[in-house]
Amino acid sequence: MKIEISTKHILNVLQVLSWIIFIGLCIEAGTIIFNLAYTFAVKPINTDNFWQGADLSDLYRNDHGHFMVIALFMIIVAVMKAIIFYLIIKLFVDKTLSITQPFTSKLRATILNVAFLTLGISFFSHYGSDYVTWLSEQKIEMPDPNKLDLYAADVWFFMAIILFVIAKVVKRGIEIQTENDLTI
Amino acid sequence: MPIIVNLDVMMAKRKMSLNELSEKVDLTLSNLSILKTGKAKAIRFSTLEAICKVLDCQPADLLEYVKEQ
Repeated sequence: MKIEISTKHILNVLQVLSWIIFIGLCIEAGTIIFNLAYTFAVKPINTDNFWQGADLSDLYRNDHGHFMVIALFMIIVAVMKAIIFYLIIKLFVDKTLSITQPFTSKLRATILNVAFLTLGISFFSHYGSDYVTWLSEQKIEMPDPNKLDLYAADVWFFMAIILFVIAKVVKRGIEIQTENDLTI
Repeated sequence: MPIIVNLDVMMAKRKMSLNELSEKVDLTLSNLSILKTGKAKAIRFSTLEAICKVLDCQPADLLEYVKEQ
């Protein structure tokens, strides 16, 4: 029996994957927000395992302000990643993606939004990573930026540029599609 | 657009309704309406041929160039 994989199947798989990643990112953002709030509001018992084994206890002991800034960098990056996947899921749920009429202004707006968010992640990852390095130089025991999910700023930047180019291509696609629709 | 579609003039000359033309040239009413109102960006030769055949006219009877002011 021959199994045919259509575009619809691929889109369904991508939708399921997007949901899984979105839930994962929501858990990540939620956990970091909860840990930060718990540390400041109740007691700092979880600073040694702030997120996936990242030990920020030395930083917390040294300066609460720096600890807060690092946590905020992590929260901003995690929330931005979650928003990206929220936008992608919204594309699937709103049925904006159509194979017969693929180029729509909604799709372009989503791609542009994702591009701006990606650029934001790149910016915060870069400065967050630099900040962690600077803190390490101040003789504060810091975990690796990878453990704090503040890494690959260059990759995010590269992705943002590609998305901006794709948004431009989609814009031209919308024009061609409209012209095609008005060809009798 | 400086190209004017005189489809309505030819239809009136041949005393043909939009519905009748739509059936004879095998085009949807909405597409014919786009053509009639001058919203169309382009016209296929096959469509032009079908309309000319049904209305018994030349392409020049349907299309006209008017200089923009």
